[in-house]
Amino acid sequence: MTAGPPPPLPLAHGVGAQHDLPLSPFYAYAGAFTALLVSFLGLALLWSSSRFRGDRAGIPLPAGLQRLTDARATRTALRLLGAALALFFLAHLLLGPDDPDRNPAPGALYVLLWVGLVPASLLLGPVWRLLNPLRALLSVRQPRAPRPIHSAVGIRPAAAGLLLFAWLELVAPDNTSRAVLLTALAVHLAVQLLGAARHGADWFAHADPFEVYSSLLARLSPLGRRADGKLVLRSPFDGLDSTPETPGLVATVCVLLGTTAYDGLSDNPRWITTLQTSSLGPTATATLGLLAAVALAAACYGLCAGTLRLLNRDLATPLTSFAHSLLPIALGYLTAHYFSLLAVEGPRTVMMAGGTDNAPSPAPPLGPAGLAVLQVAAIVTGHVLGVVAAHDRSVRLFPPARAVAGQLPLFALMIAYTLGGIGLLIA
Amino acid sequence: MNRPAPRRRTAPLTAAALAAVLLLAAGCGDRPTTHHKPGTGHEQGTGSGGTLLAARDDSGHRLRDLPAADAPTVRAEARPDTEGGWNVHLAVERFRFTPESTGGGALAGRGHARLLVDGRETARAYGPWFHVPPGARTLTVRLYADDHTAWSVAGAPVETTVPLASASSAPSTPASASPSAPPSPSSAPARTPDPTPTGRTLDIRVTGSTVTPAPSRVELKKGERITLRVTSDRPDTVHVHGYDREATLTPGTPAALTLTADRTGLFEVETHESGLVLTQLVVR
Repeated sequence: MTAGPPPPLPLAHGVGAQHDLPLSPFYAYAGAFTALLVSFLGLALLWSSSRFRGDRAGIPLPAGLQRLTDARATRTALRLLGAALALFFLAHLLLGPDDPDRNPAPGALYVLLWVGLVPASLLLGPVWRLLNPLRALLSVRQPRAPRPIHSAVGIRPAAAGLLLFAWLELVAPDNTSRAVLLTALAVHLAVQLLGAARHGADWFAHADPFEVYSSLLARLSPLGRRADGKLVLRSPFDGLDSTPETPGLVATVCVLLGTTAYDGLSDNPRWITTLQTSSLGPTATATLGLLAAVALAAACYGLCAGTLRLLNRDLATPLTSFAHSLLPIALGYLTAHYFSLLAVEGPRTVMMAGGTDNAPSPAPPLGPAGLAVLQVAAIVTGHVLGVVAAHDRSVRLFPPARAVAGQLPLFALMIAYTLGGIGLLIA
Repeated sequence: MNRPAPRRRTAPLTAAALAAVLLLAAGCGDRPTTHHKPGTGHEQGTGSGGTLLAARDDSGHRLRDLPAADAPTVRAEARPDTEGGWNVHLAVERFRFTPESTGGGALAGRGHARLLVDGRETARAYGPWFHVPPGARTLTVRLYADDHTAWSVAGAPVETTVPLASASSAPSTPASASPSAPPSPSSAPARTPDPTPTGRTLDIRVTGSTVTPAPSRVELKKGERITLRVTSDRPDTVHVHGYDREATLTPGTPAALTLTADRTGLFEVETHESGLVLTQLVVR
């Protein structure tokens, strides 16, 4: 009464005031045990000749639906929707209060876009490709003679972009302030638009981190495109199997795994103590921690690929051949770490965008036990999907006599990732 | 500050959208105002209940005297709220809250209450329940008639005073018909309240960027109470995320923050200025 309202809170770690409870050992052990059991059962019982047919599989959707989704009007409408949402975001960012509790812009970026793209892409396919406001911007003035992108580039620029975004979300100080967000946006726009001016809209498929992220997650969607261009319903395994082995796929997957793992680590009190007492300062230490997490994920994968190469000299590209099987594991990590953020902060952001000032956080949809089950189930499901995808790829690439032995390094890797993922949820 | 320049190509569209957003924002920003119906202004009326005295209370309102047998009484009871401040309940006798006729003539047994926090009038109560935000030390509740005169008995306003500083207190001071001096700031309890903590107490000391004991996790059962006693070597604010509780840190003086862990989750206790995580509350 006598004192004024409290000053706006500078949140040091993105959006959201509540973290998930650490996992109780019971759920952790149950999850780890299931993962191990399924891995060895899979090794023993799964099929011995490849079953997945990648982009040749799928049941075509009815012709009317095909025409509707491919219609020029639908595409234009989606472009306009994406552009309108981007302008709405920009207007809030520029004109709204510089306070994440009152401005929906930070939540729109860190929650609705980053986390919301996961379920959207899983259900509907590569949605960001259709909504991407940068594509709308480019369609206003197409570059006259776009140069093709060198084949060695692949999706490496997007991997770098994803790493930078993760740094912004998990490490950067004041990452919900207008100044920081505008700087990040300016850098993003500059890189994307300069690239697109040179290479045309194709650049976004290689370099826009959100588009690549959405397109990779969409590999697990039941909706997809067959090789003949038809929109089909298909098994997520077939979609996963058709993941193009572009350069940078391994890097992208390792960035997703490593940064999500770092998100789990950053809640650990020991890591917090390290950050606060480090002589380098918290930001530099956190940056090193983030890079180390990505490097660790990549090193484990490199080690595994090296072993695969030793087992089968004919395997030309051991690194990229199995990278797709890590996507479900990354998806499991993402779900386990960000589910409650989306469920709690997502509606709050929408309420704020709808005009509610300082909207209250809705109650979490799951109790502690329900959330623990969901987290463990997500990680174990990701693991199982990964094991199955790797198994199928392995029986295709290895001669039958060595197929089982050939999978062992991958199994070891996946078990390491999964136990690590569960371990980080306990920490 | 870098502004995203490449948006220029869509300037007309952007401008239109911005204008629309501005219009929307302008429409929502107005603060509500109180409107008085004709004849219900704030001027003191000349109602019929009781005897209007020449004496005034400390906020300048004339007193309206009633015999003790007819005069209203008030008792206040304050309980600490789990999110800070106090929930106050007024028990009144021979009195009814009549917000609908405020500004009208005085009738015995009708009117409203005024709340004085640390001797300063801050709000009115038109009903028995209200909340007092943290930071208050004493609360005085005085009963007024609809015409904004203060009900009094033998020249003393009908009022009650509750000390709020101590967290353990839920004292109810019965209203006496005898005059009670308005609480002066000097009579208020010490600046740093020292609540008798219910539940566990956690002592944390912040020196520079060193937190002692090192940040760890405090496991709490849902519904348990915990008191954080934080001593910092510089002025700062300590904040419990999720519960949105804050306490001001004065260098060298421990500040105490008591809360009931009524939401499950992992919540960080942080300082604002130095941005240090002091501890994490794990509420299951």
